[in-house]
Amino acid sequence: MKLWFIESLALLMICTPVFAHHGSTAYDTNKVVVLKGATVTKYVWANPHVIITFDVKDEKGNVQHWSAEAGTPQAVVLSGWSKTSVQPGDVISVYLFQSKTGNLVGRLNKIVLADGSELRDSALGYKEAEGEGKK
Amino acid sequence: MRDFLIDLTVLLVFASAGVAQDKQAPAQRPLTLYQKLEAAGNTGGPAPRRDLLGAWTGPLTPKYVDPPPLTPLGEKLFKLNSPDPFSASSNDPWGTCDPFGFPRSATTETRGIAFAQMPGRMVIMAQYGRIWRSVWMDGRELPKNVGVKGGPDTTWYGYSVGHWDGDNTLVVSTTGLDDKTWIDRRGYPHSVDLRVEERYTRLDHDTLELTLTIDDPKIYTKPFVIAKNRFKWIPNQEDEEQMCVPSEAIEYRKLIVVPADQDQARGKK
Repeated sequence: MKLWFIESLALLMICTPVFAHHGSTAYDTNKVVVLKGATVTKYVWANPHVIITFDVKDEKGNVQHWSAEAGTPQAVVLSGWSKTSVQPGDVISVYLFQSKTGNLVGRLNKIVLADGSELRDSALGYKEAEGEGKK
Repeated sequence: MRDFLIDLTVLLVFASAGVAQDKQAPAQRPLTLYQKLEAAGNTGGPAPRRDLLGAWTGPLTPKYVDPPPLTPLGEKLFKLNSPDPFSASSNDPWGTCDPFGFPRSATTETRGIAFAQMPGRMVIMAQYGRIWRSVWMDGRELPKNVGVKGGPDTTWYGYSVGHWDGDNTLVVSTTGLDDKTWIDRRGYPHSVDLRVEERYTRLDHDTLELTLTIDDPKIYTKPFVIAKNRFKWIPNQEDEEQMCVPSEAIEYRKLIVVPADQDQARGKK
């Protein structure tokens, strides 16, 4: 039974939509990594994609330096982002899909700002709503 | 085996029911302007006669069509191209923000185009990279012997002439294109002998259709339609700024492309 269960889980994961937007294959999209208390070090509003770099402490108290990307500015503006959404020094919560390499880099699912408002990625912020088709 | 399938089915049903019950309704991804207008399906009335002037919005990428068999030279050149600028090993000229050139400007990042009139010519503009192409409408012919010693030089966007075919279709022919560009994001190559035909048909006031045909006998065994695209009239006529900036592309590569290492994830290493 245990084996069937694992197989079923594997099948479910295979059945999840393929994210065809460019650049997503590098990331493990089955698991959201949650990083709370992240301090923004850089916010890049640029093509091809928006980038946020931030520092966050691991469980041992060591500071980790992360980089995360979202969609292109013209795509994320539709989800409420702007060039002034985030600034260095802001403390935010980051939800991301980490690189399969294990490096401290990921594709955002969403960020939560200090006031509690959420900003979702244009591609992987709407996993259940995926269906825009191949780009 | 049958028991296993039943187990699996039961599990899947339970799993999906669980998802439906436990989760809140998922947030919906907002539609792009093109998707909204396409879904609304407004025609705006009949197309005006011989008039495309104004700003139009399209999808990120048009629908690509597979080319016919390539010539031996075409195959050789195609193998040299490694598409996908989001891969560290790609040699897509887009990765370093080289000019798209034509016809790549009509096959990649097609969120916005616009048409304007100048004496003797139509100007076709692409939002991405703020590209400007002149299409001569004064009856002149395309230059000959482009790229040959003594002839005119090839350029990123070539030489274009146009004419109206009936009341609603603008036909543009282009030649003299530098062969260092790709024709689309899949990495298909071309020679300096490439001739491209664009047919813009205004179906109604709000809808424009583009058919893009490639003719390059050195590279492809016959002419073919590489892409069809569709644009909707932008109600407020405003456009966006989309630039590929080399310093930003370098930063993106350093912070994201190299550490994320898509090639390793794909098993290409």
